[in-house]
Amino acid sequence: MIEFKKIDGRSNGYWLVCGIFLALTIWGFYAWYLALVYGHCVMGLSQRVPWGFGTAAICYTIGASAGSLIVSALSGVFGKEEFKIFSRSACVFALGTIVAAMLSIMQDIGNVENAMNVLLHYNPTSVFSWNSFLYSSYFVIGFVYLMAQFGEKRRITKALAVLAVAWAVLVHSGTGGIVGFVYSTDLYHSSLTIPMFIVSAIVSGLGLLIPMWILTFKWTNRPLDRNLMWYLSKVMGALTILLLYCFAAEALDTAYVPGNSGAIHMALFNFRYPYAWVFWVIQVGGCLLTILILLTPWGKTDWGMGIAGFIVAIAVYGERYTLITPGLGYPKDLVPGMIFRPFWIVPYYPSWVEYAEIIGLMSMACLVYCIGLKIFQILPERGEVEEA
Amino acid sequence: MTSRREFLVLLATSTAAIATGKAMQTSPTDVDLSKYKWSMVVQVDKCTECINKMLEKQGIKFDKLPLDKQNELLRNIRPPCVKACDLANNVPRMPNNPRFDCYMIRIIAAKATEDASWRFFPLMCQECEHPACVEVCPTKASYKRPDGIVVIDLHRCIGCRYCMVACPFNARTFTFMDPLEHLEKINPEVPIRKDGVPMKCEFCRWLIDMERSEGVKNPKPVCVQVCPYNALVFGNLKDPNSEVSKIVRTSKVVRLRAGLGTDPKVFYHDL
Repeated sequence: MIEFKKIDGRSNGYWLVCGIFLALTIWGFYAWYLALVYGHCVMGLSQRVPWGFGTAAICYTIGASAGSLIVSALSGVFGKEEFKIFSRSACVFALGTIVAAMLSIMQDIGNVENAMNVLLHYNPTSVFSWNSFLYSSYFVIGFVYLMAQFGEKRRITKALAVLAVAWAVLVHSGTGGIVGFVYSTDLYHSSLTIPMFIVSAIVSGLGLLIPMWILTFKWTNRPLDRNLMWYLSKVMGALTILLLYCFAAEALDTAYVPGNSGAIHMALFNFRYPYAWVFWVIQVGGCLLTILILLTPWGKTDWGMGIAGFIVAIAVYGERYTLITPGLGYPKDLVPGMIFRPFWIVPYYPSWVEYAEIIGLMSMACLVYCIGLKIFQILPERGEVEEA
Repeated sequence: MTSRREFLVLLATSTAAIATGKAMQTSPTDVDLSKYKWSMVVQVDKCTECINKMLEKQGIKFDKLPLDKQNELLRNIRPPCVKACDLANNVPRMPNNPRFDCYMIRIIAAKATEDASWRFFPLMCQECEHPACVEVCPTKASYKRPDGIVVIDLHRCIGCRYCMVACPFNARTFTFMDPLEHLEKINPEVPIRKDGVPMKCEFCRWLIDMERSEGVKNPKPVCVQVCPYNALVFGNLKDPNSEVSKIVRTSKVVRLRAGLGTDPKVFYHDL
């Protein structure tokens, strides 16, 4: 029987961490306030690139949430009982990030006062409409799953874990569909986007959870079985390789369409614009660096695993960026088969407001986790597998 | 306690009230609108002549300009159709701020080969029969009227910009800031948009609806009315005798990005 306990949460360190997350959250909300007062002109967006960091943040936070919930359900669904010690904390983090995701939608839309219309006027052909119901139901399922864990109701927890994993996959597939089903933009339409979203969700979920767990157990003076962390890091590494494979397959899939050659060349090889830099340095470079770290002996240390997780979490954010913005920055082929003007590539650089919004929301999710540690029994006394 | 008689009277009254309400709900306008399928033909020869004359007057040789100057020129050029559209539809223009500049009509230059001469034509919302923007809108704020015009209900729109991303023609722009500050004149017939919503050409539906209700047989959007070359032809595709129908039936016209299957209702002649 695993004994979950609240943390004391009285140390200066605890309050310092909470204070930092709170300050960043307030900064993020201040940025949102500016966007509400002055309009979306405070962002780096333009008429040609109307989706940017904000939309990437929506995809990212939903992915991180779905990935965390899948990790939380490792014991319930896949019978990996040794990971039960992490299931509650992963679930709390998943709930925190889905709240962040819903808030990032609110930050991104231009007409917040009409937000309720998404629920009132359902459009069955809109992937966004499906998602509004998927996101809210996902939160409810995650919450009930967490409650069942608190109640130590074994059979219900197992059943809810299966439902939660299925829903997490569904939710993130829907998010991938927002971009993957758009057929009018050269770099968007791809059937690979949805499965790739699922892989990157688990990678980013693990990428955030691994350093978080290492720090949590270290700072609360709880023993943590390094083998468990190493197992999760290996899963993360293997999925990162799969993710790189998906990047290559998707890029080649797009590149082989002659009409896409200009767009794909800009996105991957034109270093005058930010897109190629983000693709090679953050997205691909981040993934490669993660694998490299995990292959070295240092990769097996707490620091190694934590830094590898953090880097791959940023790499996945880069993937969201390159999935959304280059396709918009490159002009659409308005007059197929003809040379046409105006024809110019729009670079997209996020403004500080957009950075603040996403950092603020992720900090808010971390703050929820920190407060959750203090008021709920989500952390085990020992982060080790008990001998039978 | 309600008696059986009272109950029956109540039931009959309610039924009658519901029936009357339903009958009133079916507005004659809806029935009327389905008789129309508004469409436009752009005669590219005439548009090219118009733009070439404008450039000639300013001594500009478009072909000789570098790419960035060509882009800048086309962003800012305002032939009569664009000028009239901007004024009539409360379009906030920001020539000095291309990132946020709103438009309903843009001028596009195209040519088949490097040594061919440039052809100029306006690009506005193509009023697709299967509009991607309507398909993706999460609130049904973008919808197609029975007469085929795709419109935006600003009271429903949440400003998610999914319609802009999905539109194959970049026909929509977004009000990144308060549009009021950038209007030369306000047309009270057209709703003034707030910041955070998209906008697009709606074939001046406020005008054609008004003219139609006044009994005008061939209502026309402002761009068509002001065109000095009669390059834009507007009419009802469902009327076989309309000029639009005749041109579409007898001439070689093309539709932009037809391969996507959105079935635009703007046709280009001589492109």
